[in-house]
Amino acid sequence: MKLINRALKHVFAATTMTAALVVPMTSTYAAETLNVYSIWPENWARPMLQEFEKASGIKVNFLRFSSGEALARLIAEKGNPKVDVLFGGPVETFGAGVKEGIFEAYKPPSAAALPARFKHEGGMWTAIADDPLVFMTNKKFLADNKLQAPTSWNDLLNPAYTNMLQMADARTSGTAVTRIFSVLEVNGRNEDKAFDFLKKMRKSIQTYTKSGGGGTLPVGLGQAAGGIFFIVDALDTKAKGYDVEISFPKEGIGSAAEGIAMVKGSKNPEAAKKLIDWATSPAMQSLYAPNKINFVPAHPTVKTEASLAAILKDAKIIPIDDEYAGANRKRIIERWVQEVLNAK
Amino acid sequence: MSVTSQSPSNAAYRDPFFAGIILLLWVLLALFVLYPLACLFGRAFVDGGTISLQPLLDVLNNPHHRRAFGNSLILALAVGVGGTLLGFLFAFTAVRGGLSRRVIGFIDTATLLPLISPPFTISVAILFSFGARGLITYDLLGIKGFAIYGFMSTAAAEMITYFPIAYLTLRPILASIDPNIENAAFSMGASRARVFRTMTLPLSMPGIANAFLLLFACSLADFATPLILAGNDFPVLPTEAFLQITGQFDLRGGALLSILLLVPAAVVFFLQRYWLQGRSFVTVTGKAGSRSSVEILTPAMRFTLFALCGAVSIVVIYFYALLLFSSLVVAFGANHTFTFKHYHVIFTEGLPAIRDTLIIAAIGMPLGGIYGVVVGYLVARKQFWGRQSLELASMINYALPGTIVGIAYLLAFNDKPMELTGTAAIIIACYIFRYSPTGIRATIALLHQVDKSLEEASESLGAKSFTTFRRITLPLIMPAFFTGLGVVFIRSMTAISATIFLISINWTLVTVRILENMTELSLGPAAAFSVLVVVIVYVVLFLIGQMLARFRALEGGRVESILGG
Repeated sequence: MKLINRALKHVFAATTMTAALVVPMTSTYAAETLNVYSIWPENWARPMLQEFEKASGIKVNFLRFSSGEALARLIAEKGNPKVDVLFGGPVETFGAGVKEGIFEAYKPPSAAALPARFKHEGGMWTAIADDPLVFMTNKKFLADNKLQAPTSWNDLLNPAYTNMLQMADARTSGTAVTRIFSVLEVNGRNEDKAFDFLKKMRKSIQTYTKSGGGGTLPVGLGQAAGGIFFIVDALDTKAKGYDVEISFPKEGIGSAAEGIAMVKGSKNPEAAKKLIDWATSPAMQSLYAPNKINFVPAHPTVKTEASLAAILKDAKIIPIDDEYAGANRKRIIERWVQEVLNAK
Repeated sequence: MSVTSQSPSNAAYRDPFFAGIILLLWVLLALFVLYPLACLFGRAFVDGGTISLQPLLDVLNNPHHRRAFGNSLILALAVGVGGTLLGFLFAFTAVRGGLSRRVIGFIDTATLLPLISPPFTISVAILFSFGARGLITYDLLGIKGFAIYGFMSTAAAEMITYFPIAYLTLRPILASIDPNIENAAFSMGASRARVFRTMTLPLSMPGIANAFLLLFACSLADFATPLILAGNDFPVLPTEAFLQITGQFDLRGGALLSILLLVPAAVVFFLQRYWLQGRSFVTVTGKAGSRSSVEILTPAMRFTLFALCGAVSIVVIYFYALLLFSSLVVAFGANHTFTFKHYHVIFTEGLPAIRDTLIIAAIGMPLGGIYGVVVGYLVARKQFWGRQSLELASMINYALPGTIVGIAYLLAFNDKPMELTGTAAIIIACYIFRYSPTGIRATIALLHQVDKSLEEASESLGAKSFTTFRRITLPLIMPAFFTGLGVVFIRSMTAISATIFLISINWTLVTVRILENMTELSLGPAAAFSVLVVVIVYVVLFLIGQMLARFRALEGGRVESILGG
């Protein structure tokens, strides 16, 4: 009897296992569907993609990954891609993807209206938004130390900040790379001068975080005094109720575009093109403001939301030269690891 | 070991039942451990059709990577030793402390918490408590700018996270040592210290060695804790490998770094084997007398043990109170108004993830439990060609960092004919082959203590090998089975590093949602999800415990807890 019971249990386990294998196969039946990896967090990607479903009648399945994870998956899946579109994420990630040969060229109609830094020459990716960097500091820390929010890069060298800043690690984060290129630009691309500053700033760093937004919560909670983040992450921290202040350095600070691209070997190329057309056009970008997504629209005809525009009004934003950054990125990061990260 | 001298080397293959099982195991291991690993090696060493060792030399020549390698070893050693000590302390107190059931229940509850929590919980709790503005360092002690990042906090977090594994491994071992042996020595005039040193400690050695091995491997492969706590001055290999892949987009470099991790894991494995070789730890002989109630500990000793365990338990419970608190307030650290809205979010938007996770865990749990006991039994009891290789192969996925296992699975199972990506099967297979080694080690350790004469008696009375296994061995290794089963379930609910690469549009997991919420600054939903995971695991473990108790009562045996005590 017991043996029979045992055998039944095995049969049951085997059936459920088979069921698990079959279920996903049978569930992909819908007429026109599109599979997407999103680098944008779900709370931004979901409303956008739902709007696209409404507008196009195409069903969108999406999964969110950090930029590095999304890219690692796309590279591993190269032989048999599972998705059609990579949605959102810093242009840098798209640049690395182009080198890995994971994208299919497609130039949406809106591309013609975009400035050069918002699109790949060969049409491998197109920008859907722009995201400037900002300084973000904890207000309580500023009050405790009788400081004003930093308005110059040199303010971050103030001994009050020793061991109190958190920002991203250049080995893992596009935020960090944009930050380092900002320092290069404000120093007239004089690398030695720029690295001299970065080495000095190292003393202020508590820890370099793995993701670009990794330091926002510690700054919000006061575990760290401040850091350099993309404006979307900074404004999100503020919206959550954390007492932080956003400021800009008078010397200027960089900005990074967010992109979209079609995956090579896409199984639904026509639907993929429709999503890319829609996302690069005012149709999607005019939805940022109503959904409280604090990106600056990439398309020139879409107005930046008023409060965001007010914050950016006096800021000096330097567009990072894509060609210069692309050509020097690897070398600069290696130098940063050797001279800045491993210093101290 | 007596086994070695008595059995001819390929005895197991002559038994068609076991020969079939061994063959099946090899097929499974080849498919789910060796083949993905081969795909990964191919990616690491084959460059445009030619095999090249140059990339490996480049990795070894990089001082930063060498430092990370050294750091990983130091950390794993510290966590292995510290965690095993802590686990032994708890197991010894639970078994010999003469505590009431309720107190043991409390200690069990506290020790289970770190084991069943989703990734990052302990690290984040430590950060909030001991960081520059930590609740304890700043608010309580008034220390300004306390430097939390580094070796100490990482080691402490990993010890607290992993010591329950040592506890689970050691408790059945200590429980199966007949107190009569200790009491006999004591009544013949040996001092307490001498009894402990010459009897209790040596008898629990297989458990201690196994616990150390498990913890060493856990720490070696852990990337989540150092990711949050190690900071910049204490790089370790799994984190570096993770960064290499997800940050530098360098799959090859990441693969190479994690292949390096296999070296210390294999060394410890062989050391442990060599060390246990030729020693006998038999305490269950079938001749054991009735249990005596004479106590080997003085009341003062018992109190000290209890106080130590209590202190650790309180720290653990404090960490989880913090978690519960942040799940019930609007925004931790900014707005402490009471709210249920995070729970509303996880039961609406988060429901598919919860459902998927439960289905996957429910399928993986029995399969993983059976697999663990079968492998453990064969390795400990049967002689066959390739036994050591089988044991080693079964440990590989456990010792590798999850990121690597995930990528290897993705490379191996993305294309026809073995296309499994996008299914639940790939996640289940990953869990079974990655998290069953705890069950395997527990089975082996337990069988090291059970005299083979019990099984030989059964066989010489004419029972078939399967009958012997079912009637004699299986009841004896039940605690190990449930340890293995429990760990697979727990890990299915809490693991992330490997599975983040295996989730798909059809199947997603709660842990991935937690990570997602953390990166979105939504600490509330992340905490609510974590609380939910803890509650589900508790309920399921309790139910299994109840079923086991009934099963035991019917068979007329002792009632064992799910934790294998």
